[in-house]
Amino acid sequence: MEGESGKAAGRSQRVIYEATVERIVERASDTRSLFLRLPDPQRLAFRPGQFISCMLPIGGETLIRPYSIASDPEDGGLLEICLNLVPGGPGSHYLFGLGVSAALRFTGPWGTFTLDSQPDAECVFIAEGTGIAPIRPMLKRALARPSGHAVRLHYAARSAPHLLYADELAAAERACASFTFTALLGVAPAEYVEQRYVTGDNDRSRHFYICGVGEIVPQLRDLLRRAGYQRRAVQYEKW
Amino acid sequence: MAKIRVLFENGDPERMIEFEPAKAPFQHDGKPGSVLDVLLGHGVHLEHACGGNCACTTCHVIVRSGFEQLPEAEEDELDLLDKAPGLTATSRLGCQAVIPDDVEITVVVPRFTINAA
Repeated sequence: MEGESGKAAGRSQRVIYEATVERIVERASDTRSLFLRLPDPQRLAFRPGQFISCMLPIGGETLIRPYSIASDPEDGGLLEICLNLVPGGPGSHYLFGLGVSAALRFTGPWGTFTLDSQPDAECVFIAEGTGIAPIRPMLKRALARPSGHAVRLHYAARSAPHLLYADELAAAERACASFTFTALLGVAPAEYVEQRYVTGDNDRSRHFYICGVGEIVPQLRDLLRRAGYQRRAVQYEKW
Repeated sequence: MAKIRVLFENGDPERMIEFEPAKAPFQHDGKPGSVLDVLLGHGVHLEHACGGNCACTTCHVIVRSGFEQLPEAEEDELDLLDKAPGLTATSRLGCQAVIPDDVEITVVVPRFTINAA
């Protein structure tokens, strides 16, 4: 089994965590959050934006499936992963089949799409679908450790019910004068971003954090970099 | 037929794998015919925390010979390599580096990956 052979154990510094599903929250018709608890006194120290790598026993083997951590490092107790049911996707079908008290093994934290504090520049988050999951703790961190520049979130979803965490994001906008939240419903994200951040002005000092599923992510990356934004100022994660 | 020789910085014994690129994929993670695909499909472990989706750096390998014979890395891979610990001029991500037919390469699996907050 993955990670348990002598070879793997000898080469890796990773720890395999054995979590329990403590709570399940339906976020939309095909999207849910699993809240995972580690046995005391274990805690997972992670940076906003990182993911865990779930080890799923499917079909007689162990499939590795990454899921972004949607909760904050400061939350302490439970880890939240948020996922949608992918047609034909064995990983999401397995996880949707888990009930409360089920066991889930994972390694982590992993990933370099992270944010520890707001950069000294306007900070623009662009999320698509469940791509909001890593953005959520990154956004909270940016608002908690501000640099004095504006923070923006543009969140594309296929329908209003699929705007995950919408109430929380709207509340954050009301509470923080420097933060604006824009829902992109029925709007092509690339066109919106081009009009606002490419043809809209000549400011190229912004930092972008983009997360979504599929080709929209490299499309936005290429659009912004070609427009003159610094390569390292356009961070992204494509699932 | 292609060949990949695998060396391990941690001292594990080296491995030599001969394979038919046309028979890829050899399992389900990484690009078909990639270093990751070939290694996993032949019983050699290589870390791949993101499932071989080009979203982390844990399958980082250093290509000691044959680097120029591999297809060039795309931007996603280069952006991730930018953050890989121990980056070298011949670093690649195992999940993305596809080995063409009739090519022989040697890769080194580094001792460390990023697994810390």
